[in-house]
This record gives sequence, structure tokens and C-alpha cells, in this order.
Amino acid sequence: MPDLNDDSAELTERVREAAPGLIPLLAEAQATWRARGDADAPGWRAFEDAFPTFYQFTNRPR
Amino acid sequence: MWTGMRGIATVPSYVIMQPTTLCNLDCTYCYLPQRAYDKKMTVDVARAVAETVNVWAAQTERFSVVWHGGEPLAAGADHLAALMAPFSGVEHHIQTNATLIDDEWCDFFEAYAIKVGVSIDGDEAATSARVDRGGGSAYQKIMKGIAALKRRGLPFAALCVVSDPRPGLAAEIYPFFRDLGCHSLGINVEEQEGVNARANAPDATATRRFWSELTAVWRADPAIELREIEWALWYAGATLAGTADDLLPRRIDPVPTIGHDGAVVLLSPELAGFADPHYGSFASGNVLHHGLAAIVAEAAARPSGWMAEFLDGVEACRSTCPYFGFCGGAHASNRYFEHGRFDGTETNHCRNSKINLLEGVLDYARSQ
Repeated sequence: MPDLNDDSAELTERVREAAPGLIPLLAEAQATWRARGDADAPGWRAFEDAFPTFYQFTNRPR
Repeated sequence: MWTGMRGIATVPSYVIMQPTTLCNLDCTYCYLPQRAYDKKMTVDVARAVAETVNVWAAQTERFSVVWHGGEPLAAGADHLAALMAPFSGVEHHIQTNATLIDDEWCDFFEAYAIKVGVSIDGDEAATSARVDRGGGSAYQKIMKGIAALKRRGLPFAALCVVSDPRPGLAAEIYPFFRDLGCHSLGINVEEQEGVNARANAPDATATRRFWSELTAVWRADPAIELREIEWALWYAGATLAGTADDLLPRRIDPVPTIGHDGAVVLLSPELAGFADPHYGSFASGNVLHHGLAAIVAEAAARPSGWMAEFLDGVEACRSTCPYFGFCGGAHASNRYFEHGRFDGTETNHCRNSKINLLEGVLDYARSQ
């Protein structure tokens, strides 16, 4: 069985390696989200308006 | 270790209602088992659901009632209005194939402040799986319905099924949806579930290229809320910030789906209407005999049968999959319809719509 800690660390490292391209992309995305009125994230509200069944991601079960 | 998605919540964020089993279309990838039959939900069922839902809705900022199907508009406006009447303090959503939308339906959407989602897969060629019972293309009828929404200025989201993710496809479909006028777009890679037995295991490299190219076209023109790409970007940003573990819900939404007859299936709308020789019925109860709150509370407190096995599966994902923080665990229906049980882990859906999605977005970022 693969070691999850190694695999998770590897994935995190791949994200970090992508940072030079990712950071400006994220800055543009955040500007888009702000312009939509979603604060800095693809808001709970925006996606709930369109996709309430996107339950893994956009809902906040209590 | 990821800390979200532990156990089942006692209060959902929304319920899914099946006003009729009937659909006027016969799409080739559809998973619904009874779409040829018009079994309508009774008002007694809706009233029983509303007894619980109205209490839940009063306790929260927003609570959604999603009218799904079958094709919900095939229930007829008068019947749908009668089913909606018992609810208060909720937001109504309809996911529709759009073919029946006309000015009268637009009046209905306005009167009930309904949030509308339409199902269309791109231009006529891309939408070729969406056919009527005679096998004829439904595209023109879909576009006519969407034209009515646009004429009336009603906002709508779109869900697009992609059966063959491949290089070049993103540049074909994104401009279509940009011109269509939807405010949001969700991409569902075709899934093997329900009565759709087609295994979908496209080439991983091609799938990653599809998601990577979709990132590029969205970046060039981010006019549409593009569900999958934006979520992946959010996750990647949280990973860089060291806050990725905060993103998943703390508990699993029970997602009650209420069938036309009042049967309640939790956790997976796609299991509604199915039974299995080993697991029996996937329903947890019926709102005509037990309150919905009690059905959900019992499942959350004492999960048994297939749901207990599913929770074992979620823990297996948590302990073995590095993508768990992005995904939250394979969906119950994908596990069942691909593996025949609920405690397996990685599915084709995981690969197509989670793993290769995130990797495709990272591929794009690395290419910049």
C-alpha cells in the first residue's frame, strides 16, 4: 500500500512547484470573484445559487 | 490527516424532490430507471416533507428545495405549484432539460423566484446524446426553451455532460456556453451509474489536457462561473496558504432525495428507485410513515447497512488518497455502480472529475 503521507506531501509539493504560474492565475481569479461580489473565494453563495447539488464542495451541513 | 467529512450531519442544506419519474427525453447517458413512466408525487408527500423542511429552513440563512426528475416540468405547472405550496422560507431550484420552457413557464419561474438550471452539452453535435423517445435530436427544443429564458431576462445555470474529455474540446464548448448566456457552468464527465452501464474510463492524459485547456479558456474570458476549474483553483490556493483542510464540510450532507412515492434515499440521489439483492432497498424510510427529521437523525446516529459501508469507504479514502482534501471521498453511487459495493475507494469518477481535474489545472499553471 502506498504511504499516504508521502503521496499527500508529494501532491502538496506539486502544487508548490506550480506556484510561479499559479499565483498570478489565483490573483486574476480572486479579482474575478471580487467583481462578482464573492469576496475572495468562488463563494458559497454563487455556487449554491447555481448548483445546490454540488454538495461535496459548496454546502455547509450542520 | 484531513478532518472534514466525518459522519453524517443531522440537518441537510437541501432536499431533492422527484415531482414525477417521467422525462420527455431519453438521453443515451441517463441513469434514471423509470423515466418512461409518469409516476407523480402526491401533495401528501410534499406536505410531509415540508413539515420538516420548513423547520430546518427557519434555522438557517438559506435552504434549497431542488426539483429534479425525471423532467420536473413534465409534472405540469399546476401540479408543481401544488407540490411547492406547503413549503415556506426555502429557495426553489429546478434542473430542467429546457425543452418545455415557454412564456407560461417563465411566468411560473418568476412567480416562485425559482433558480433555473438547464442541461445542455454544447452545440448540436455536442448535444447529440440528448434525444427524444424517437431518437430525434432535442437540441432545437432545448435552444427554444433557453431563448424564452433569455427573452424574459431570467438568469440560468447550465450543466454540461462530457462523455469524451479530450484535447480541443474545451475550446469548442466554452465559447458556446459563453454565448449561451448562462451565468454558471458545471461540467459533469459522464458517469457509469443507474441504468447507464457504459463504463467511462477515458485516457488520463487526454482528460488532464481537457481540464488544463478549460483553465486556459476560462482565464482568457472568466465571464462564466466555471464550477470545476474555480473550485480546483480555490483548493490550490488554500494548499499554498496552508489552509486546505478547512475547505471540506465538517460532516457529510445527508442529501435527502424524496422519490415520487415518499421514499427517502440519503447520501446519493442516483440510488433512488434502486434495490440490490445484498443491500435490499436503498431507501431509509418513507415520509408518509416517518418524519424526515427522524429518518435523517436515525441515519446520522446509527448508520447501518449500505450507509455504514459507505462511511467505511469514506474513511478508506481519507486514509489512502492524497486527493481526499479536494474531493471528500468517492461518491456513494460511483462506488456502488462501478465496484458493486460502498467501501471501495478510487472510481473512474474520481479519476475523471477530481484527480485529473486538479492535475490538469496544475499542468496549466506549470506551463505558464
